[in-house]
Amino acid sequence: MATTLLWVLPLVPTATALLMLSSRDRRVLSALDVAGSSVLCALAVLLAIEVARHGPRAFGVLRIDDLGLVFLLLLVTLTLAVSVYTVGWLRQAVAVGNMKADALRSYFALVHAFVATMVVTVLADNLGVLWIAMEGTTITSAVLIGYHGHHHGLEAAWKYIIVTTIGISFGLFGTVLVFAAAASHGGPGTMNWSSIVPVASTLDPGIIRIGFIFVLIGYGTKAGLAPMHLWLPDAHSQAATPVSALLSGVLIKCAMLGIIRFQVIAAAACGAAFPAQVLLVFGLLSVVVATPFILAQHDLKRLLGYHSVEHVGIIALGLGFGGPIGTYGALLHVVNHGVTKALAFFAAGTAIARYGSRDMRVIRGLLHVAPVGGILLLLAALSLAGVPPFSIFVSELMILRAGIGQAHGLSVAIFLAMVVIIFAGLLHHVGAMTFGQPTAAAARDPEAVSPLLAMALLAAIMVLLGLTIPGGLDGLLRRATAIIVV
Amino acid sequence: MNPATAARVIDDLGALLLLSMIVIIAASQIARAIYAVAAQSLLIAIAGAVLAAATGNRDLWVIAGITLAIKAMLLPWVLHRVLRQMNVRREVEPVIPNTATLTITVIIVVMAFHLNASLGSVRQSITGNALPVGIALTLLGVLVMATRRKALTQMVGLFASENGIFFTAMSVTAGMPLIIEIGVILDVILAALVMTVMVLRVRSTVDADIADLDRLRG
Repeated sequence: MATTLLWVLPLVPTATALLMLSSRDRRVLSALDVAGSSVLCALAVLLAIEVARHGPRAFGVLRIDDLGLVFLLLLVTLTLAVSVYTVGWLRQAVAVGNMKADALRSYFALVHAFVATMVVTVLADNLGVLWIAMEGTTITSAVLIGYHGHHHGLEAAWKYIIVTTIGISFGLFGTVLVFAAAASHGGPGTMNWSSIVPVASTLDPGIIRIGFIFVLIGYGTKAGLAPMHLWLPDAHSQAATPVSALLSGVLIKCAMLGIIRFQVIAAAACGAAFPAQVLLVFGLLSVVVATPFILAQHDLKRLLGYHSVEHVGIIALGLGFGGPIGTYGALLHVVNHGVTKALAFFAAGTAIARYGSRDMRVIRGLLHVAPVGGILLLLAALSLAGVPPFSIFVSELMILRAGIGQAHGLSVAIFLAMVVIIFAGLLHHVGAMTFGQPTAAAARDPEAVSPLLAMALLAAIMVLLGLTIPGGLDGLLRRATAIIVV
Repeated sequence: MNPATAARVIDDLGALLLLSMIVIIAASQIARAIYAVAAQSLLIAIAGAVLAAATGNRDLWVIAGITLAIKAMLLPWVLHRVLRQMNVRREVEPVIPNTATLTITVIIVVMAFHLNASLGSVRQSITGNALPVGIALTLLGVLVMATRRKALTQMVGLFASENGIFFTAMSVTAGMPLIIEIGVILDVILAALVMTVMVLRVRSTVDADIADLDRLRG
C-alpha cells in the first residue's frame, strides 16, 4: 500500500488544482481547497505510519524514507493550515479589492500546483527529478508572487525567478558532476540517490567536492542562504500572505532537504568534515548578514523575510556542527521554524489587513483592537526570538550544545551574539506593535474565525514542541538523523 | 565515427561554443545576442548528434533534435517577437563597461581550464576538453545575467548558461537519462514563458523594463 501512496501523493494536489478550474464561486473554491489539503494530510499521515512500520519505500523515481518524512509532514501540516487560513483571509481580501473575484480559480489552481511540485521535491529519489521539481516550484511560485499584477509584485517575482533560476542552474551542474562521478567510477549508472549513497565512499573526492559546492550554491540560493538571499525579502514580502507562509515555512526547507541529500553523498566521498565546513561558513554568514536588516526594518513582512534568512542559517549551522545532536537539532529546527514562521506570517497578514499598512510604525496597539490576533503575533515573535518555553528555543539550544561539544568556539560566540541582538530587535518591534494605544488607521471589525483557527492549530504545535517532543516525532527525527550521520 | 575523431570534433565545437559566448557578451544589440545564442544552441545540437554517432546512444539523437527545435529555433523566435513588441529604444545596457566584462570573461575561462587540470584522474573519464568548456559557458551565462540591465539580455544569459550544462551533461556522461533531459528542457520552456509574460505585463503597466525596476530596497 505504501508504494501506491507514494505515487498517489503528488497526484492529490495536482487533481485539486485541476478541480479548481471548474468553479468560480469563492465558497466552492475554498471548500475544495480545504478538502484537497485534508486528503493530502491524511494520506501523508498514513504513509508515515507505513514507513514507521516497514521502513523506507521506493517506487520508480520516488522514494520515502524517514528524512523525507520529516519534511513531508511539515509540508502537509502547513498546507492544511494555509487552506484553513485562506478561507477567512480571502473573504477580506476580495472585499477590499486585493484579490479579483474572477481570477480566484487560477490563484487556487496555482497554489495547489505549487504544493504538488513541493511534494515531488520531498519524495524525489532521482536527483534529476529533484532538480526538475525544484525548478517547478520556482515557476509556480514566481507566478504567485507577481499574482496581484502590481509592479512591485512583478519586480519581486522577476528578481526571484532570475536569481533562483541562475542559482539552480548551478545545482543542475553539480548534479551532473555527481552523476558523472557515480557513472564513471563503477557506480550504478542511475541518478537515484538511494543507489548512489551505498557506493558514495568509492567516488572520486575531487569531482564530488566541486559538485557539492555547485549544489550548495544552487539549492542554497533557493533556501535563502546568504549571500544568495537577495531575492528572499522581496519575494516573501510581496507575495500574498498564504503564499508567503508556504514560501517561508516549507519551500526553503525543501531546498535544505536537497542540500542534505548531497551532503550525505559528499560526506561519504570526501569525509564528513568537508561538507560540514562549507555549511558552517554559509550558515554563519546568513545569521550575520540578516541581523542589521532585522534591526533597521520598518516593513513587517520584510522583517519576517530576513528572519527566514537567519533561521535557514541556523539550520545550516546545525548541519555544519554535525554529530547526532547538531543534526537532530537542525531537523527539529526545520519543523519548529516552519510552524512558527507560518504562524508569524498569518498573524502579520491579519494585522496588516486591519491597519491597511505594512509599516510597523503604523501598526500600534494591536492587543486593543484584536486581542486574539495580537496575542498570537506576540507568541510567534517570542518563539522566533528564541524565548523558552517555545519550540525554537529547544532546537537552538541543541544546535548550540552541538557547537560547544565540537569545540567550534568562535562560531558559537558569533551565533550567540547575533541571536541576542536579534532577540532585542524583534521584541522592540513587536512590543511596539502589540502594546500601546491603537492608531486611527486601525479597523475595529471583529476577528474572522478561520484565520484564528489555523493560527491556533499552529500555535498549539509550537507550544507543544517547546514543552515536549512526542515519542513518534522523536523516533522519526532519530531515524532521520541516523540517515545523515553514519 | 570512431571515438578519437569524435573527441576532436567535440573539442572544435567547444572552441566554437566559447566563441559564440564571447559574441553574446560583446554584443551591443539585443538582436545580435539572440542570434548568437541561437547559433550556440545549434552547436550544442550538433555536438549531441556527433556524440550519438560516436557512442551509439539513441537517446542523444532525441536530445539533439529537441535542442535544435526548441533552443535553437523556438525560444530565439519567442525572444525576437518580444523584442519587436517591446519596441526597445535603448539597446544593451551593461552595468559595468564591456571591456571589464570581457576581462572577467578571460579570467573565468582560464580558471575553468585551470580547475580542470587540477582534477587529475577524473579527466581520464571525460571527453577531451568538454568539462572546462561546460564550466566556462555556465559561469559566463551567469555573468551575462548579472551584468545586464535588460530583461531580454538576462534571458539570453539564462539560455546560454543552460547550454553550458547540457554540453557538460552530454560529453561527460554521454547524456543524462532521456526523461530527465526532457524534464529540464520543459522547465526551461515554462520559465521562458513565465518570464515573457512578466516582461510584457510590466511593459504595459509602467512602461519600464522589468529588470530595471528597483523600488524594493532595504
